[in-house]
Amino acid sequence: MSKPIVILENIYTGYGTKPVLEKVNLRIEANDFIGVLGPNGGGKTTLMKLILGLLNPYSGKVSFPSGRPPTGYLPQVSQIDKSFPITVKELVSSGIKDKNPWFPHLGTSQRKRLQHILDEAGLTKLASRPIGELSGGQLQKALLSRALINKPRLLILDEPNTHVDKQFESDLYKWLKELNKEMAILLVSHDIGTITPIVKTIACVNGTLHYHPSNQLSEEVLRVYNCPVDVIAHGPIPHRVLKSHEHDNQ
Amino acid sequence: MSDYLSIFEYQFFRNAVLAAILISVFAAMVGTYIVSRKIVFIGGGITHASFGGIGIAYYLGANPFAGAAIFAILTALGIEWIAQKGKVREDSAIAILWSLGMAMGIIFVFMTPGYTPNLMSFLFGSILSVSTTDLYVLAGFGLLVGIIYAIFFRPILYTAFDPEFAQVMGVRVAIFRYMMSVLMAMAIVISIRSIGIILVLSIFTIPQITAMLFTRNFARIIPLAALWGITGSVTGLILSYLLDIPSGASIIFFLTIQFLILKLFFVIKQKIATRSAKV
Repeated sequence: MSKPIVILENIYTGYGTKPVLEKVNLRIEANDFIGVLGPNGGGKTTLMKLILGLLNPYSGKVSFPSGRPPTGYLPQVSQIDKSFPITVKELVSSGIKDKNPWFPHLGTSQRKRLQHILDEAGLTKLASRPIGELSGGQLQKALLSRALINKPRLLILDEPNTHVDKQFESDLYKWLKELNKEMAILLVSHDIGTITPIVKTIACVNGTLHYHPSNQLSEEVLRVYNCPVDVIAHGPIPHRVLKSHEHDNQ
Repeated sequence: MSDYLSIFEYQFFRNAVLAAILISVFAAMVGTYIVSRKIVFIGGGITHASFGGIGIAYYLGANPFAGAAIFAILTALGIEWIAQKGKVREDSAIAILWSLGMAMGIIFVFMTPGYTPNLMSFLFGSILSVSTTDLYVLAGFGLLVGIIYAIFFRPILYTAFDPEFAQVMGVRVAIFRYMMSVLMAMAIVISIRSIGIILVLSIFTIPQITAMLFTRNFARIIPLAALWGITGSVTGLILSYLLDIPSGASIIFFLTIQFLILKLFFVIKQKIATRSAKV
């Protein structure tokens, strides 16, 4: 077992007096690719906010054995105001962590990095466009570039497969597999069918967290872990068909 | 034509034109933030709540604009605090502060013994009575906003666009949000003197919306909004003299006409483009 980069120990957390997560334990290691599954309102986003430091636990501990790793974050696209007057270039630049947060500016190396990441994502031609003119897939690419520009060691993605076409989704998963060689990935989704083939392990989040150290989910696991999710079969993209099962245990 | 130019011989008119230019410049910066974040309603709350400060200051015999500034800043910080805590519905809180401020203003002005100040000048502004000292205040404030934008442009833009992500990136989001709230409140109060409570929001929104017809790039909206603010307000001022109508109202009216003409131009241009694309 390699050294973990994030450890969650016996976490209780929520918003105000409303608890959302209880008794959560999780270790994230350098090359993990964890699919975070669970129903809406089950606490997936809360778990993410906890790891990102946007939310504090009521009790328990979030620790980073070798310091907080550079973290890339892709929020749900519905959280983005597409009518905001910001260009693709500015959007992606906002992922650059300023060494001096009080007098921030982009240095030469940061501009080079920006150009490189725009090239890689195929966004160079769109760099000066406002984000309102992008398609769903292009916006996701821009948001993912923003998450990656800082060379993160932990990448957290919240429902990256919404409002995109199948081709983009398939490209995205190939890209993530490559990225996983260099960073740990936490992929939040409510759609079990599309993500199980690409993730290595699965965390079911529904009020609490059950870690499943493989990407194979049986009906038994789903039932025991109380992890109701939408099972959707997708055609042209690479996927692993789940074992067939009957819903006789509801 | 000589009529048209002779008006510039009067210092009060030159001061009014300079005031319109200076306000247009800092309103372009602050207003772009307001319009981009879609918080015009917060601006309205701040503006009207400041009337409470004017009333109390009159009652106590203090400077009404100091009263307005205190009320406006406290309201702005209060709204931002409510927004960050999220415990009360933000829009309802704004409406309460908005009307409470107006109510307090009316009560205290009513209770002030003797001469009741000319309320109209607070409600509609009096740009034609702007003094040289007022111009220094406008210029000084414009410089302050310019310096703040020059240094903190990126964090201001990023916290406006996606505060959660900015926080993940280590930006002190809360501090920047509060700073912008104070800047907004100050910009509004300083402009009330010239344009008045009822009309002041327009200079923070109409030139920006006009600029957004041309570009959707935050950094480029600012100079364009300043330009459209200046052309609209100076033309409005000149027309107010020629037509003998109230200057504040004339400025707002012309800013809107200017927007509508440009909007129409873009709509027609679009139509022609789609038609030729079909052919």
